[in-house]
Amino acid sequence: MSAPASTRRIEIIAVAIAAILVIVVLPLLNAHGFISNFTINLWGKYLCFALLAISVDLLWGYTGLLSLGQAMFFSIGGYMLGMHLMLMIGELGVYAQAGKNPLGLPDFMVFLGHTFLPAFWRPFYSFGFSALMVLLLPGVIALVFGFLAFRSRIKGVYFSILTQALTYGGSLMFFRNDMLMGGNNGFTDFKLLLGGDLRNAVPQRNLFIASAVALLLVYVGCRLLNHTKFGLVQRAIRDGENRVLFSGYAAASFKLFIFVLSALIASVGGALYVPQVGGINPSVMTPEKSLEAVVWVAVGGRGTLVGPIIGAISVNALRSWATRSIPDLWPFLLGGMFIIVVLFLPGGLISLPGRVSGWWKRRTAVVAVESAEKPAVVTTTP
Amino acid sequence: MLKKRPPLLLGTPLAFIAWPLIMNFFYRALCRLAWLALLTGASVHAADTPRQIITKAILAESDDARIATIGSLVGQGDESIKILLAAWKEDALFVYTAPDGTRTPVQLTGEKDAKEAQEAWRVDDGQPLKDAGGQPSRLVGSALTAVEHDSNLRRAMKAVLDLLDLSTTDLEKRVRAIQTIGFAQNPDKIAALEARSKLETAPKAKLALREALALIALKDQSDDVKIAALVELKELHTISSTDFLKATIASPEAAANPKLAQAARSALSAVDNHISWVNFFGTIFRGLSLGSILLVVALGLAITFGLMGVINMAHGEMIAVGAYTTYVVQNIFGTGLALSPFGMSISFPGFHATGWAYESYFIFALPLSFLTAAIAGIAMERTVIQWLYRRPLESLLATWGVSLVLQQFFRRVFGSNNVQVSSPSYLSDNWTFNDIIFGWNRVFVIGFAIAIVFGVWLVLTRTSLGLLIRAVMQNRNMASCMGVRTERVNMLTFGLGSGLAGLAGAFLSQIGNVGPSLGQNYIVDCFMTVVVGGVGNLPGTVVSAFGIGLADQSLQQILLNPVLGKITVLIAIILFLQWRPAGIFVTKSRSLEG
Repeated sequence: MSAPASTRRIEIIAVAIAAILVIVVLPLLNAHGFISNFTINLWGKYLCFALLAISVDLLWGYTGLLSLGQAMFFSIGGYMLGMHLMLMIGELGVYAQAGKNPLGLPDFMVFLGHTFLPAFWRPFYSFGFSALMVLLLPGVIALVFGFLAFRSRIKGVYFSILTQALTYGGSLMFFRNDMLMGGNNGFTDFKLLLGGDLRNAVPQRNLFIASAVALLLVYVGCRLLNHTKFGLVQRAIRDGENRVLFSGYAAASFKLFIFVLSALIASVGGALYVPQVGGINPSVMTPEKSLEAVVWVAVGGRGTLVGPIIGAISVNALRSWATRSIPDLWPFLLGGMFIIVVLFLPGGLISLPGRVSGWWKRRTAVVAVESAEKPAVVTTTP
Repeated sequence: MLKKRPPLLLGTPLAFIAWPLIMNFFYRALCRLAWLALLTGASVHAADTPRQIITKAILAESDDARIATIGSLVGQGDESIKILLAAWKEDALFVYTAPDGTRTPVQLTGEKDAKEAQEAWRVDDGQPLKDAGGQPSRLVGSALTAVEHDSNLRRAMKAVLDLLDLSTTDLEKRVRAIQTIGFAQNPDKIAALEARSKLETAPKAKLALREALALIALKDQSDDVKIAALVELKELHTISSTDFLKATIASPEAAANPKLAQAARSALSAVDNHISWVNFFGTIFRGLSLGSILLVVALGLAITFGLMGVINMAHGEMIAVGAYTTYVVQNIFGTGLALSPFGMSISFPGFHATGWAYESYFIFALPLSFLTAAIAGIAMERTVIQWLYRRPLESLLATWGVSLVLQQFFRRVFGSNNVQVSSPSYLSDNWTFNDIIFGWNRVFVIGFAIAIVFGVWLVLTRTSLGLLIRAVMQNRNMASCMGVRTERVNMLTFGLGSGLAGLAGAFLSQIGNVGPSLGQNYIVDCFMTVVVGGVGNLPGTVVSAFGIGLADQSLQQILLNPVLGKITVLIAIILFLQWRPAGIFVTKSRSLEG
């Protein structure tokens, strides 16, 4: 399964160049005014989506588990950091400015008539605690759900349907006002993060750099993981779970580890996404959003690490363009893209060069065979 | 080899649906006739109309005769009585003496003109008073003899008016009037209620009268009367008496008389008992109807997902296709429909049908919804799904793409807002039995679910197509070797599954909103139902649909929160699958990957 050494070298060089470009060059250009803040912000968003895409790919492309719960982990990460951001608004909030909110509660609580901060909100005054919860809460949910699901050997489509139900249940829960998480408006109107004013360019640039670094770390980490024996077992589970079981491996533990890991990756992506976008609400949590992330992976190329990144960025760039210029046709485009990729390009965009070169090789082979006037035998597997 | 007869076979369940409807119509028409006959029979006892009686009273010589004549109106419910007696009290009735000496009572209404004249209406028939030339005449009130009234007469009128609402021919209105009097607990009205009790024939109104009298008796001075009333209320155990019973228990009289308190408590516990039974059966009924909805929407999926292994995320959109078909059929029966999709404009002329012809649209919409959705499903199978039979996860993704495209298509064609589908009257009514409300549409969906399950069972077990479907689903290669054209069977099976989704959509249009995202609201529930039931197992789907429906409604009743109930059900399903990972009924197979 592993790609030839030359391809691997090309990938490493390309990723290194892209990383330098994104982490160093783009922020510098932005600082000197060559790239607008809007563009940096937009690309920061794409990078967060790329993190979500990698988390989907780690499960779907490498382990054969199509999870529709990744959008939930993404939003939970966002909500956990969002709680800290809401508390940081403090005296800058609308109600506080009007003098109606002496305790500095989040505005939606004042609106709902609460007079004191609920106990579970209090620790979120600390950034460290919020950051910990970004990892802890999705991790625990994934651990419990994954343990239950993998223990009873729920796999394939059933796993997808169950994670879909989990996400659906989660969104229903967060839509409720008495959950005290902002109801269907969610969190918005953030002001400060770690002392930096999120409405200014510098903190946004730093967030962009943070997202790029996180993406790079996740990429490198997953790459290293894939080259270990663990990665091998992981791919073996995808290709023949029963054989792995019969060889004496506890497939469930492997799957559980990957499930928790990818939940953490998605959650970190969400936590970085929220301050850049300036809000989060339960509509990000729906199963449809998970499926959209699956589209990015499918378009980019599953079972690779670069594919999801390319897919997330290209599909979202297309969406940014399409929702502005042809908003009515965008769902047709997204749906059509999905059908076409699934039917005609299972390897995604990343497989295109290989396909083209394969086609070219075959063509030249056929020409050579024809010139030798022998019956042609063409192998189609790349 | 292959007989293509699914539409005809599905006619069987359609007949099942149509028959009760027709019977229901005749039954109701008969009831209405019988009721009318009863009413006319009841009011024939007086030869004169209320207007004529009032005319007589006005022209009566003595006050006693007047009071007696007015008194004879007691128990009648004509609207004109209220108008005329009110006019009498407001001094708007006069006696007009014609040149030939005949005296005609008239009511003067409307604005006074320059000569102070007003419109004159005859009291005896409600027609305008005409002069010799046949023209409506205008009269000046001060020139006529005013009809007088004294306190005795007014008391007699009040007795008539008190009973007026109690005597109206509209049963619902009458019951409401009786209840209003009962809740006011005014002892002055006892006489009127008792008078009505003697005339009343409708059982519902009779019960209301007994309740009202008992409630008024609770205000009585004597404890014995109160206890008798409490015994009566215990026997009636109406929900509306709860507050009055609680008030009686808290009253000082009850504190002084333990017997009274005991009777009140026992009546209250009878009411509480009744309420908990009503809630219990109401919950079961709602659970059954929700289960039927789930069953109807999930049955198609049980075929495409359960039997064929295709994860059709566009199943919800097939439901929407059925619902929109119903919408189009309804508009064609009505005033027609103009659509402007993608810059084109399509208009369907309407039949402008009214009444029953219009309301029968639903009977035509059912098979058409099935057909449209089946055709849409077959088109989808041919273009997308047939390449993905061996790749279930990919079928999930591709059909989700189809679902996005279809949703946007609905938005472009029918607009992004919900469209209005009006229920025919035979589905929008309800029927209250022992305080439990049975909506006709809910009753109908239960019958409908039973009918289509039966129909599907017939198709699968009693037809050659069903035999082929089962053969292909059990072992595709073997069936193919035996000469079954598996491609065509796949196509027809998928068409059948999608058509059932379309039928479900036709029905959902009668229960909820029809909009582009209609299908999205049901898709998660559909998959849950099929997975819990055991994939590839139709009886399992039936059991799980009713199980989930009942669990959902009971949890809502217990937790008093629909969303929390739903979340609890989802968690319960996840835990249930721990215990039985393959669902309620497991399809046994020796294959490892089974």
